Amino acid sequence: MKPFRLYEPTTINETVSTLRDLGDGAKLYAGGTELLLAMKSGLLQYDGLVNVKQVPELDGLAVEDNVLSVGARATHSTVEHADEVLSDFPLIARVEHGVANVRVRNVGTIAGNLCFAEPHSDPGALLLLYEAEVDIAGPGATRSVGIEELVVGPYETSLAPDELLTQVRVKGFPEGMRGTYLKFGYHHRPTLGIGAAVRVEDGVFADVRLTLGSVSPMPMRLRASEDVLRGERLDSTTARARAGELAADVCDAIDDLHGTAEYKHHLVSVFIGRALTEAIERGER
Amino acid sequence: MAEATERRIKIAFEVNGGAVEQDVAPEVALIDLLRDGLLLKGVKRSCDMQVCGACTVLVDGAPVSSCTVPAFEVRGKRVLTIEGLAADEALTYISDAFIDNAALQCGFCTPGMVLAAKSLLDANPSPTEADIKDYMRGNICRCTGYKKIVEAIQEAGRIARDGARS
Amino acid sequence: MTQQTYTTVGQPVRRIDGVDKVSGRAEFAVDVVVPGMAYGKLVPSPLPHALITSIDASRARALPGVYAVLTGAELVNMETHYGSDKKDRPIVAMGKVRFQGEPVAAVAAVDLQTAEAAAELIEVEYEELSAASDIASALADGAVPIHDSNWCHEYGYEWGDVDEAFKGCDRIYEDTFTFPMVYHYAMEPHSCVASFEGDRLRVWTSAQHPFLVRAELARIFRLQLDEVQVIVPYVGGGYGSKSYTKIEPLVMALSREAGRPVRLAQSVEESMKTVRRHAAKATVRTGVMNDGTFVARECLSYVDTGGYTDNGVRVTERISDRIVGPYMFDHVRVKSYGIYTNSTPAGSYRSIGGPQASWACESATDIIAADLGIDPIALRLKNLAKKGDELRRGKRPLEGDLAPKLRLVLDEFGWDSYLPVAPDPAHPNIKRGIGFAASVTNSGASPTSTSLVRFHADGSATVYIGTTEIGQGSRSAMAQVAAEELRIPLESIKVIGSDTDVVPYDRSTGSSRSTTLMGLAVHDAAVDVREQLMQLAAGHFETFADQLEASAGQVSFKGESITFGGLVREMFGGSGGELMGRGYVTSNHASGMLHDDPVFWEVSIGAAEVEVDEDTGAVRLLRYVSAADPGKAINPKQVEGQDEGAAMQAIGHTMFEEMLFEDGQFLNPNLVDYRVPTFMDLPDEFETVLIEFGDGPGPYGSKGVGEGGIVAVAPAIANAIFNATGVRVRDLPLTPERVWRAIDAARRGS
Repeated sequence: MKPFRLYEPTTINETVSTLRDLGDGAKLYAGGTELLLAMKSGLLQYDGLVNVKQVPELDGLAVEDNVLSVGARATHSTVEHADEVLSDFPLIARVEHGVANVRVRNVGTIAGNLCFAEPHSDPGALLLLYEAEVDIAGPGATRSVGIEELVVGPYETSLAPDELLTQVRVKGFPEGMRGTYLKFGYHHRPTLGIGAAVRVEDGVFADVRLTLGSVSPMPMRLRASEDVLRGERLDSTTARARAGELAADVCDAIDDLHGTAEYKHHLVSVFIGRALTEAIERGER
Repeated sequence: MAEATERRIKIAFEVNGGAVEQDVAPEVALIDLLRDGLLLKGVKRSCDMQVCGACTVLVDGAPVSSCTVPAFEVRGKRVLTIEGLAADEALTYISDAFIDNAALQCGFCTPGMVLAAKSLLDANPSPTEADIKDYMRGNICRCTGYKKIVEAIQEAGRIARDGARS
Repeated sequence: MTQQTYTTVGQPVRRIDGVDKVSGRAEFAVDVVVPGMAYGKLVPSPLPHALITSIDASRARALPGVYAVLTGAELVNMETHYGSDKKDRPIVAMGKVRFQGEPVAAVAAVDLQTAEAAAELIEVEYEELSAASDIASALADGAVPIHDSNWCHEYGYEWGDVDEAFKGCDRIYEDTFTFPMVYHYAMEPHSCVASFEGDRLRVWTSAQHPFLVRAELARIFRLQLDEVQVIVPYVGGGYGSKSYTKIEPLVMALSREAGRPVRLAQSVEESMKTVRRHAAKATVRTGVMNDGTFVARECLSYVDTGGYTDNGVRVTERISDRIVGPYMFDHVRVKSYGIYTNSTPAGSYRSIGGPQASWACESATDIIAADLGIDPIALRLKNLAKKGDELRRGKRPLEGDLAPKLRLVLDEFGWDSYLPVAPDPAHPNIKRGIGFAASVTNSGASPTSTSLVRFHADGSATVYIGTTEIGQGSRSAMAQVAAEELRIPLESIKVIGSDTDVVPYDRSTGSSRSTTLMGLAVHDAAVDVREQLMQLAAGHFETFADQLEASAGQVSFKGESITFGGLVREMFGGSGGELMGRGYVTSNHASGMLHDDPVFWEVSIGAAEVEVDEDTGAVRLLRYVSAADPGKAINPKQVEGQDEGAAMQAIGHTMFEEMLFEDGQFLNPNLVDYRVPTFMDLPDEFETVLIEFGDGPGPYGSKGVGEGGIVAVAPAIANAIFNATGVRVRDLPLTPERVWRAIDAARRGS
């Protein structure tokens, strides 16, 4: 790897001012599990890395009033094993456990994962299912955005060069809603991820949330698919088929190592159906 | 704004139970500090992208990919390499189980594999076969076909629970 | 030997290099440090096919800390090309590049960072030529020849009258099968430290055949064999990827330029651009009678050997040797061609041509069975070669019966009692099925081995073998053979390997040959020592050698005994001395078993149960039963381990491994994008049946097993998928998309 300078601020404000002063030549660095690989291969190059792991304000993991707050320093392992997550957000613990391998989980952060915005990844699509928000610190006031506003393209976020993600806030599903997340693929990274959360009343989808990851260039909420399911009977095959078609239309799948767009469209349909069934029968919080 | 650290960072840490001080440039990977700086050649570089696990070492008991983790990140921490495990009589039951079960052939993945197995057993002393496969899925072996490694870890677990062999 | 009970042989002893390897002490080529060593870095060609119009290394050479830059222009006063059968590989590209990644230059510098910086300063200009990624484009009209043409080699054989015979057949089947380019992924990439010292060469290298490397380097640098030393420490995986000569000439030439030793440690990406397995396209045409009798077979195969020949000649031949299968045909016509393409050169890989041939042959067997309405096992048994049959005309007849071996695997699997599981109505898309495959391949083992045993004055011994320890456990197996014949404990044996200045000649480590052939040499060398001890003892006891008993390190006669060490000390009249024993293995070996080719037939058998999700194409391997047929297992645990490892590599090429090239661009040269098996790919049940009929030519009736496990997996799984879904897939790997498309097409009736 080419030489770089290391900057180690100790407060959020210092981090922001460091980023502002260094400009394009510097990058935020937490776990580095994706960033350092890109730098080793020469795909990315930075003169300076700004280490956020010396900033205590970025610590913290807590559940309060049905909201999980995770600081930017939290690794996947921390989230996966935290008592509060296991008891109150078991679906998150389960999906986090499936990320990469144990070594990556021990070092990589959930915040870093969102910010690197690798399309073939699970946390973004999962957190989108919860309508999670992230807090962003910058020169001005802290702002909060949802996942779709944060991740705007493959490897692309809406963060300005002098902003950093400080916290992820995940609101538990509303009363009566339960969710699941299914993934598929045989490669090192996932080929497809579908998040589904449902609230069932009288044999009908009272409310539905559907998210898609890995097939699409960024985590995507499948609103049109949700609309055709809302109010429909749980066992309506036409509604599910239509939801699958609409998802295939918007998912922007491409031919790549994971398969052809045609196959991915087919998988999206199949897994929407399976995720809905799983959410109905075995959904978690 | 934070000042840049010096081009070389002074780090103090523990390796295999012994205190160490080194000056490292930020971009130096932990594996290179261990192999070239400290002559601990047991840790191996293979895929160089965190997929294969050959470079696994334990930092504060947790397995990490030394090919990618920067060396400066171990300041103030305890590092365990295969040499440290081999020197610790209380831990050799794991590597003995590997030999007894023919859970190694060429040996290149073995240091990482044994350290990962240790961290698994530390976290879960009674792993099921499914637990073992899931935890170890990030350590690749090209020679054994994995079955005997699973058996070795199961045996090591039994030994740990029933009392370590002398 | 006909002795039935052995002291050490047949015991699953702890491998003697085990402690070295679990402690991190074991040294691999990449660990070797030589004083004054420089660090090497390759400059690869970014283009798959191009003329080199200029190389400007001036800025690189001027960089402080750079000792040398090697290009084709520096290859003077030496031979410039090498290769095992065709010497078509330039040490570094000369005037032309033929695959993406081919080294165009190499830098030696004071450290790796400087070498990498210098490599970026080398400016190479190319005139691009159109590239052929695959066999079809290499043979298309207008394809730019990669060498003089794109044809590397041609091979064939025939007997009977195929054309006439087809006319008399009730049915004829013809299918074409494809096998992908796959990579060995030995976890230690190729690496070596080369030291050019004027009148002698030394190289530490991760290589499988040190004596062949020695010969190649001696020829290239115009030195005598005694002036070249090749040292192979432990090898971090070979599987054929480190056969013959790979990077040693380049690094040695670089060392010559630099005036000091140079280490080159490749990355996995660089090693994926060094060697791979041959991709293949094979058409099998079979004429049969309605009762399932096999009558005639015609095969046409193409193997893709990449930008250079490497082992392309032999692979072209072996695929043809193996594609007729373990069956007797009266009429055969087989032809194969090796074709150059602009991709990584293809060389040896565990059972060369075997998996490709069996993929075609054993898929065809089940296609025929299904169409005739005959049970696939019954069809095989009906046509299976028997002991003594001339499976290939002109080659050694089959030395062991196959049917009982198939039966052992079928019984372990529970084939006959398997009840098809009806799909769960809640999940009609999930289907289960079973499949089987069997193969017999002519081992490439060549009988050229020697061994030396030194017996010390304290009763311990050192055994010298040229076999490299690539994981297969050769050191342990040889120690066991020596311990058995010397009648001393295993702990008293030390095995020294693979330094050409120290150990006597062994041709190679591969082709499943070492236990059989080096084992015989070690056996003979140990017997030589034992006979000398018996002669000494005869003198000591003043009797005849055949009156004496030797065991457990001593010789006894009428209640008296003397240790082996005591005999040695007595001979030399003091406290020191040693005996030397030697073993020579050639095709004229006294056993009479090594005259014919092949030295033995290696058996492969596999039975699989799969579960297919028809909606996604995902295939789960529920059960796999393999067979290891070592004749006599010197170390049963090691034999099992070899078989399980081979089968797992085959699961890789069957289910997901594939090197992808597009217009010569290598799309997935790394471990994230090239998917190898992990713990998660273990079948729920995974067994190896150990078959020991004593029917091999090696010590104690042994023969080689390292390659058998990789051959039967792919067709067994495809046959199981067919059994589960009624859908036949003829191309590997059986990725979910490929399987889904086949099922989807069948559903839509196309």
